[in-house]
Amino acid sequence: MIEFKGVTKRYGAKTAVDAVTFAVRPGRVTGFLGPNGAGKSTSLRVLLGLDHATSGEALIAGKRYRDLTFPLRTVGALLDGAGPVPDRRGADHLAWIARSNRIPRSRVGEVLEAVGLTDAARQRTGRYSLGMRQRLGIATALLGDPEVLILDEPVNGLDPDGIRWIRSFLRGYAGRGRTVLLSSHLMTEMADTADDVVVIANGRIVADGALADITEGHPSLEDAFFALTGAASKQVWS
Amino acid sequence: MTAARLTDPVAAELIKLRTLPALWIALAVAVTANTALGAIAATDVIRLAGDGGPTGIEGAGALMLAPVYAYLAIAVFAAGTEYRNGQLRLSLAAVPGRARFLAAKLLAILVVSLLAAVPVLIPNLVLRGDLGDLGRYLAAYLLLALTGYGFAFAARTVVTPIAVLAAVPILVSTTLGGLWPTVVRVLPHEAALSLVGMPADPATALSPAAGLLVLTGWATVSVTIGGVLVARRDV
Repeated sequence: MIEFKGVTKRYGAKTAVDAVTFAVRPGRVTGFLGPNGAGKSTSLRVLLGLDHATSGEALIAGKRYRDLTFPLRTVGALLDGAGPVPDRRGADHLAWIARSNRIPRSRVGEVLEAVGLTDAARQRTGRYSLGMRQRLGIATALLGDPEVLILDEPVNGLDPDGIRWIRSFLRGYAGRGRTVLLSSHLMTEMADTADDVVVIANGRIVADGALADITEGHPSLEDAFFALTGAASKQVWS
Repeated sequence: MTAARLTDPVAAELIKLRTLPALWIALAVAVTANTALGAIAATDVIRLAGDGGPTGIEGAGALMLAPVYAYLAIAVFAAGTEYRNGQLRLSLAAVPGRARFLAAKLLAILVVSLLAAVPVLIPNLVLRGDLGDLGRYLAAYLLLALTGYGFAFAARTVVTPIAVLAAVPILVSTTLGGLWPTVVRVLPHEAALSLVGMPADPATALSPAAGLLVLTGWATVSVTIGGVLVARRDV
């Protein structure tokens, strides 16, 4: 279970997220939907303790992220703007992360295989394509076999096979009773993957519920999004 | 669940360092340059022009200390690459306690810097017959490395600390040494030269003990500022 409780984050005079409150339940894929700059990534950085909340708190299994003993064994995250140093080999990148949380070294090979990067394990990540870097990020998130998976824009750079793979993988992951929070600005992708949807625009939560409830009476999630968020979000999207 | 120990993040940091090619290149440059300078000083095959006629390079402190800037790049890379491609976000996701992360990283870089100092310093000092000075050279090298390390965390880059630390002795010391010797003598490079007993000029000389004190001050302030900024900043 992930809980945001009135999280506000200001950068100087700018309010990036404003009193964000929602919960993500286990056993379901929850989509965190909003345009670029709406506050998705900021919310996730606050959740992971990378940015300090101005007020409010974000909890995972009732604890702040920084209070988890071996956080990567509980939470796996793919974050925007958090990648490997290009000079380092893919396997070495995963090796230091695994060691930091006392995750067996054998997991490095397992997650590389899971994302189809076994053959590129000894390549320096600077030579990876965008899609390969994204796969490595997903492998990083899976390293600790976590109960909670947080993926920020996971389909960016993935080819159609990769997109299909991540979609079915996340459905299976949540199907085993685990918690999946999936952030994206791609509404079609979200409509195909999520059980629940949290919509954020201009730093505020504007809708939160089951996908079926959010889209009820609308031809698509995209139509529902614009109907729910009104002029404010249209301004953001334009 | 087993309690987290500092050994886990320290071991992770050691893997990070070991798998960074730039670090090995910096070490190779430092070892090669310092050994070559030691050989030249020992054999006196190259002499420098001076007011009183040609002198051995051993008297040119700034030249003899030059390899330290390749050596300190190891520590600068350790800190500065955290800001490359957003690695710091991954580091803090793995070790979210920032004090714990900083302690582990500092311990790892101290271990690596100490190990690196062996091939960098010992051949040079053996060739020059100055192995007895190992202690003060080690102190000068380590303290300059830590100064660069903290600076890299504060500057969030690799380039600025190396450029500033290496350019100051070339640009500032040579131009301002005569005008403001009291200021120049407490700059890191001059303090290091005083510590190893090779001040560039009597006007900018400190006693070796004072050099050690000043250099320790630079390293402490730099590591502290870098650490406080990492602890407080959003990443």
